[in-house]
Amino acid sequence: MKTNNLLSNKYFVAALFLVPALFFALVYLIIPIPLSAYYSLFKWDGIGAMKFLGIDNWAQLFSDTVFWKSVINNFKLVAISLIIQIPIALFLAVLLTRQIKGINFFKTIFFIPMLLSSIAVAFLWRYMYDPTFGLINGILNLVGLGHLTQSWLGDSSIAFYAAAAPIQWRFIPLYMIIFMAAISGIPEQLYEAAEIDGANNWQIFFFVTLPMLRGTVINASVLIIVGSLKYFAMIYALTGGGPNHASELMATYLYTKSFTEMNMGYGSTVSVALFLIALIVSVLFLRFNKKDIRN
Amino acid sequence: MIIKKIKAALIYLFLLIWLIITGYPMIFLVQNSFKIKMEFFQKPVWSLPASFTIKNYLDVINSGFYIYFFNSIIVCFISVFLIIIVSSLASYAIARIDFKFNKIIYILFLAGMMIPIHSTLIPIYKITLSLGIYDRLSALIGPYVAFSLPISVFILTGFINDIPYELEEAAIIDGANRIRIFKDIILPLVKPAISTVAIYNLTLLWNSFAYALVLTSSPTKRILTLGLFEFQGQHGIDIPLTLTALFLSVLPLIILYVFLQEHIIKGMTAGALKG
Amino acid sequence: MKKSAIILILALLVSTCLVGSVSAQDQITLTLWDIRTASDQVTPALKYAIERFESDYPQVKIDHVPTQNDNYKTKLRTAMSADNAPDIFMTWGSTGLKRYVEANKVYDLTSAIESGWRDNFMPAAMDLGTFSDHVYGVPVTNVAPAYIWYRTDLFEKYGISLPKTYADLKEVVAEFVENGITPFALANKNKWTGSMYYMYLVDRIGGSDALQKAINRTGAFNDQVFVEAGEKIQELVKMGAFPDGVNGLDEDAAQSRMLLYTDRAAMYLMGSWAYGTIKNENADILTKIDFMNFPAVESGQGDPSNLVGTPGDNYYSISAKSEHKEMAVEFLKYLTDEKMGESLIAVGNIPPFQGVGNKIDDPIMKKNYQTVQAAHYIQLWYDQSLPLELSQVHLNTTQALFSLEITPQAAADKMEAAAQEYYGN
Repeated sequence: MKTNNLLSNKYFVAALFLVPALFFALVYLIIPIPLSAYYSLFKWDGIGAMKFLGIDNWAQLFSDTVFWKSVINNFKLVAISLIIQIPIALFLAVLLTRQIKGINFFKTIFFIPMLLSSIAVAFLWRYMYDPTFGLINGILNLVGLGHLTQSWLGDSSIAFYAAAAPIQWRFIPLYMIIFMAAISGIPEQLYEAAEIDGANNWQIFFFVTLPMLRGTVINASVLIIVGSLKYFAMIYALTGGGPNHASELMATYLYTKSFTEMNMGYGSTVSVALFLIALIVSVLFLRFNKKDIRN
Repeated sequence: MIIKKIKAALIYLFLLIWLIITGYPMIFLVQNSFKIKMEFFQKPVWSLPASFTIKNYLDVINSGFYIYFFNSIIVCFISVFLIIIVSSLASYAIARIDFKFNKIIYILFLAGMMIPIHSTLIPIYKITLSLGIYDRLSALIGPYVAFSLPISVFILTGFINDIPYELEEAAIIDGANRIRIFKDIILPLVKPAISTVAIYNLTLLWNSFAYALVLTSSPTKRILTLGLFEFQGQHGIDIPLTLTALFLSVLPLIILYVFLQEHIIKGMTAGALKG
Repeated sequence: MKKSAIILILALLVSTCLVGSVSAQDQITLTLWDIRTASDQVTPALKYAIERFESDYPQVKIDHVPTQNDNYKTKLRTAMSADNAPDIFMTWGSTGLKRYVEANKVYDLTSAIESGWRDNFMPAAMDLGTFSDHVYGVPVTNVAPAYIWYRTDLFEKYGISLPKTYADLKEVVAEFVENGITPFALANKNKWTGSMYYMYLVDRIGGSDALQKAINRTGAFNDQVFVEAGEKIQELVKMGAFPDGVNGLDEDAAQSRMLLYTDRAAMYLMGSWAYGTIKNENADILTKIDFMNFPAVESGQGDPSNLVGTPGDNYYSISAKSEHKEMAVEFLKYLTDEKMGESLIAVGNIPPFQGVGNKIDDPIMKKNYQTVQAAHYIQLWYDQSLPLELSQVHLNTTQALFSLEITPQAAADKMEAAAQEYYGN
């Protein structure tokens, strides 16, 4: 009886439901952020004594051209990923939800990049990009486009884009499968009605499929925005943020500062800045799209 | 009629191009895994192996790979299981119970998505030590669950928000408590979203690296992604062997995916990530 | 039925997960962290030492944890930060080890060293593990200076003779370029690889004390010698001495050596470990490989016998927290004994131990050993002799020199600015 009373108390139930999640979040997610904010006030190599600096690290951050370059690169990555991943994933999803022969085979192979680890993807693409032995320059030479061959990862003006390509390659399948699921969820009647009205494929896509996918696309965009703002793995593996910081991202910069240069204080400053930037951008994006909880 | 055929041909052409783009690296992986070390350095990287050798496969398997493999399975499956339970409970509370702090808690979880992994390494290392689980596989589960929570809560909350409230209303009037409602009404309905959450997190965790690097030490506690580095020395690398290890590490996921593909898509259908 | 089975399996999984490593009573386990992964050339020698030690001390087990280079640094730094270092760990000596010593994380080996152990080592190698006259790390691997490794057959084929001076080198470069061969195999994503050219040029132009003067602030990092070294690098770059996109190639992924192996490049400036690496990766080519010293610069002050490198590549230390320090010292003795010396020679290392000279049969290794003996001075890698704050600036500016994105003067000025900030003048 008593438990039943408690269970009808919504505050108690809410607490009960939230406690496990809050436990994990508190121990592993929440604690590091104030801790990083605290470290950002010190000169600290991560090992020895900490020397209080006040806001020196933050002042340095604002005049640090490499940091701002990394911020710009992060936003470029957001833009590239949104422009490339969502349309291609959508297009593939639409194709793969049609009745085409051999569709299962395509579906399986198309998803493979997502299953490979970033380490593996970077390792593979490194050899694709090799200026001398690599597949990409090899093909360009083969088809007579030899003048287009590049030293993909070594040229500061293109290294960032070259390193961003495998990220697109790896993540398109994820959104493809998410869109496929969403498309299969659209009621058949809507399509039938459109066909009766004499709509062609493009019209069906723009007036039926796309509006029905609006929520899915917005959510996918949030995942892409957040993922791109804190992206690390393949850029670090392929270029290490170089050459000459050309492909530096906030996350690679904070890693290099913290662990390579052993400047944990400044690295923490960058990580807090990354956190704030990502938070503001995502909240603004959700606001802008009025995709808020309890709306 | 002709237009239709051209259209179909174009579609196949596009699919074929995409097939090559996504599939070629796998072919590269497989063809070079049958090469011997010298051969990789002497011939163009895309040449076929002169004679197929399975030595690399034997070497990888003998290097303790199956232990890493087993460890990865344990950690990932337990983590994903916990993530599903923990995040669906939390999402239900956030989406459906009006306890005044919904928005704050939701934003809090959202904020969790923005935390860069590498700034948490040292704090989480210290926490792990003080919990006394350093160098155990269980040390990985905490951070794995925690870092998957925000995305999972984000997906599930959006999904639960879309479930018509009437379904629960009837049950509430019948006097069912929230736990029952969650178990009997909500959980079955969110299954599609749960499979999205499961597959998304599984592929991420299977490939995660940084926590395992610092939180475990003994080779018996090593996971697959760490094992991949076994074949890079200080001043030299065995590329075919590394490629073999890469291939073997992704193979189980591919097999799993082939078998579960229909399930996954079907499971996710009906509104994965719907808003 | 199905459900309970699932629960049972989960429970099993969870329990395997929670179990830590169980060790028998009275058994001592020493944890050893280093970078001797399965494909590292020194690994067989290390494994053999562990085997010998464990059979002599059956109550002790060495728990060897190898981690790949870059990952190793992160792993060790994180563990050090939380004061949880393993019993025995590896560093590269010098400034990196010093940081841990200053934070009191490292056990002082001085008394062990002074009771006869010191005689094992080449004296120069001890310096990098010694701080204020106390020894904290012992050198185990390779005496490793950088040489210009070259393909003898390619030099013969094009009738090119070995360069003695920088002017000769430019001719050699021009001739190889003319014949469509990349003169130098270099992968400079890693930065320390390109740094070797800079260090040698500084030495050949300004002599062995140029760097020392800049460090002790009687000179500066933007003195003429540093600017000139940068100019010469860019001169070589413009002549086409290095592969396309050199800053995007990864030494760890063998993108430099692949050029050498496939007859596309003729020379490779690299530490003497290159010999072991080539032996390990592509033994067929070994007969066509030789090395030479970096050429002299005309009118330069540097002695062309001077070398840049390290007198001992990897240093092994004991954690101040270890509960079995004496046992760990015993193990380190196995890592530095005669048998270890022999097995290191077998994998292509020149161990930093006394009396290895007459045990080396391989002609190239013998030549390597004699070259080291003949050197008047060995300059330690900048990224180890400079404090971390400066070494990173050095590596970054040097990489930018290779892509012509910074002028030699600007690179030197940047380095000097960092030095002034660090040394406070």
